[in-house]
Amino acid sequence: MELLERFIVAAGRAGARVVRCLDRTALVDYIARHAGGTVLLPDFAAGRRLQLAEALRQCGCEVVTEHFRAGAAQASAGVTGANFALADTGTVVLDSTDEALRLASTLPQRHFVVLDPRKILADGLAAVGPLRALHRRQSPDFIAFITGPSRTADIERVLTIGVHGPGELHILLLEGISDDPLES
Amino acid sequence: MSRQRSRDYQVRIDAALNATRQQDALHRFGDAYLEARQQALADLDFEALREAIAQLKDEVGRHRQQYLDQFIELAEKAGAQVYRAADASAANDYIVELARRRGAKLAVKSKSMASEEIGLNQALRTAGVEALETDLGEWIVQLAGQRPSHMVMPAIHMFRDEVAALFGQVTGQAEPADIEHLVAVARRQLRDKFLQADMGISGANLAVAETGALALVTNEGNARLVATLPPVHVVLVGIDKLVPTLEDAARVLQLLPRSATAQALTSYVSWIRGPVPHSDGAKELHIVLLDNGRSALAEAPDCKDALRCLKCGACANVCPVYQTIGGHVFGHTYVGAIGVVLTAFFNSLEAAAELVKACIGCRACVAVCPAKIDLEEIILQLRRRIGDQEGLGLGKSLVFRRVLRNRRLFHALLRSAAHLQKPVTGGRGSIRHLPLHFSSLTEWRTLPAIADKPLRDLMPSVEGQLSAPRLRVALFAGCATDFVHPRIGLSLVAVLNRCNIAVTLPQGQSCCGIPALYSGDRQTAVELARQNVRELLADDPAAVITACPTCSMALRQHFVELLQDDADYAEPARRLAAITYDAAVFIAEQLPELPAAASRGTVTYHDSCHLKRGCGVWRQPRQLLTGAGWRLQEMERADRCCGFGGSYSFASHPEISREITKDKVNAILRSGADVVAVDCPGCLIMLRGALEKRGLPQRVAHTMELLGEALDAAGEGG
Ligand code: SF4
Ligand code: SF4
Repeated sequence: MELLERFIVAAGRAGARVVRCLDRTALVDYIARHAGGTVLLPDFAAGRRLQLAEALRQCGCEVVTEHFRAGAAQASAGVTGANFALADTGTVVLDSTDEALRLASTLPQRHFVVLDPRKILADGLAAVGPLRALHRRQSPDFIAFITGPSRTADIERVLTIGVHGPGELHILLLEGISDDPLES
Repeated sequence: MSRQRSRDYQVRIDAALNATRQQDALHRFGDAYLEARQQALADLDFEALREAIAQLKDEVGRHRQQYLDQFIELAEKAGAQVYRAADASAANDYIVELARRRGAKLAVKSKSMASEEIGLNQALRTAGVEALETDLGEWIVQLAGQRPSHMVMPAIHMFRDEVAALFGQVTGQAEPADIEHLVAVARRQLRDKFLQADMGISGANLAVAETGALALVTNEGNARLVATLPPVHVVLVGIDKLVPTLEDAARVLQLLPRSATAQALTSYVSWIRGPVPHSDGAKELHIVLLDNGRSALAEAPDCKDALRCLKCGACANVCPVYQTIGGHVFGHTYVGAIGVVLTAFFNSLEAAAELVKACIGCRACVAVCPAKIDLEEIILQLRRRIGDQEGLGLGKSLVFRRVLRNRRLFHALLRSAAHLQKPVTGGRGSIRHLPLHFSSLTEWRTLPAIADKPLRDLMPSVEGQLSAPRLRVALFAGCATDFVHPRIGLSLVAVLNRCNIAVTLPQGQSCCGIPALYSGDRQTAVELARQNVRELLADDPAAVITACPTCSMALRQHFVELLQDDADYAEPARRLAAITYDAAVFIAEQLPELPAAASRGTVTYHDSCHLKRGCGVWRQPRQLLTGAGWRLQEMERADRCCGFGGSYSFASHPEISREITKDKVNAILRSGADVVAVDCPGCLIMLRGALEKRGLPQRVAHTMELLGEALDAAGEGG
């Protein structure tokens, strides 16, 4: 199976919603319709390139771009990019060294991830190269592998979604943004 | 002292046996886990991967200092403050002092078994710092004032109504016992605490020497908050979590989540290196590298493999003893098989003494361990150490030293037992009731009687068997076949004769020594090994055949190990090992085409622990049975232990054994088969006794008996 297909199946199995977006408008529209309230939008390459802040505001979203600590508790969604992704587990990998990225991807109920399908790698072993490159680029660093929404099975082993992290993970596939694993 | 300890432990076992709701839950979990795990591993080469993990972990074990130095150097270069804690109190002191220096009042914790190991919460509380668990299961257990009963699922012993009651005390209102609701309550209650906390404390699953980074493998997302929100993050990590490179880390990540929760990957893997930016000022990252017995374990040649452990919990999930008495009783900080071993090194041998005896030796844990640790073997080694230290108990050691080592005396006693038992057998061949305090042994199964005549007296002479045999093999009967079920031996001889192979029974053979070895009496085992090697090889047979997989393991593995430093016996022991075969394997080779037999009915096959996981044999007996005309109807989990375990069921832990047997009997009944085939006289004794006691009509027979009957029938027909 092609990497993209495998990624979509695996991410779906892990409980993520994977959406193939035809263009920037479709992507912005999807976020606006599903955000459900204030959106945390940290600074990241794809977001800049797609000019997400203006576009989301134009769609009527309330967008916060700084001082996340104060507003995070009330925010309902966070939007980030991804450095790369892993097909066999449906994982998105995000260099979250920047605190704003960490807050936007951990605190709100929904996490939207913008991913260029060219960034999909086969598996964890294939990820070692880019991971090493990220480590080499900066220190200290915090790199997050994210696979599906936050979950627990701690009460009677019943799978329950959304404990401390996002209860929804939306992966928005859009071609032509970037294939560079060093940027998100 | 050890007497009192055993009595106390027995009280705890009894209480756990009465907790039937927990038992049911752990059983259902064990079954569901095995299925989900199999699916999660479907596309991977599990054996190759776990071999790779064993190797990389051993590499770290061999060059511990080098990898530690490398990790520390790089972590410090990234700005982390690294402290090496030799033991629990050093680690606690460091963290408490740090909290004091920072004026911390509240610490939020994500799951860390190492912190359970050192009693960190207690140490912080004493210093006036509240340590709040935020992993859902850990929080539940903390609110209940208990300790985790499982390494991955801390609250697996609790139920939604109990959780609702605990949460109700926190919120001050009645909380409905609805799981989704309860999870939402936890999110709400803990969210503010994350934001208020002065300190975050977590464990780590990996410490990568190549980068100086830590990896946290989690599902709930609390570890990410613990690492991000407070200005100080303390990572308490055992030095056993070191791996050399990122490739090694990737390998561990392939098996860890699949083994722990049957997930391809957990929701989050966070790679943290150095103190990352924090908007309220400078962030501190403290890494406490915990030894606390790990170096001692690395120096113990016969136990050190346990340091490979990934803490996935799989060994507990599949363990019949864990499923029966739970992690609070079959464990200490860590539970299940690995808990037994780590308790001996992280706490004390004394603390592990009862746990070591509670293992039935079924090797289910060994089959699933992603770090390829022979847990059962290590537990045996510990049993030996405890035997050396505490003695075996007067009765047992007398029996082993005086009786088992003296074949003539042992066999004479068995023969006289055949006569002495007459009053209790009533001539039936099995014992249904025993007088007085022995009666608990026959309460739930009948005991087999010693046969009137042992196999050694019934054996047909070689000349009487065949006129021109093409091979001559020796039979190692083992005590159970020789003295309890000689029919098994006679059937085996008949089947081998059909292959034109003559069989001898060397008269000087004795007990294989496993009962002594498993009880910790190595010297008796060594003497029996010598005696058997000498007697079995005396006549230079083409092969040695056993109908008991425990004996087979003794001849093929234990004798070689026991005698490896014996100048006279090391080589013969290896020679014997090379020509020893399990009956089914040998016959499947010698008699590939069974004479077509008429349909013989429905059989279900029970895999003996020692045959399947000890000798790696499960296909051949099935092949022989179906070839002989039986229709095979598999039971659920055919390879789950039957509860026998030698003296485990008779002497040390009959109550646990009874529960395990009950599961097996139920699986047999659900299969709908009329006959249960086994390849182990021990399983045969156990299952026949249990079925008979319940008045059930299903027959239990050794594969060799069934094969002999099928060949007889085919011979008559043709
Ligand atoms: S011993 Fe093996 S199975 Fe048990 S927890 Fe450790 S890695 Fe997992
Ligand atoms: S050998 Fe069997 S009883 Fe012993 S710890 Fe392993 S699974 Fe449990």
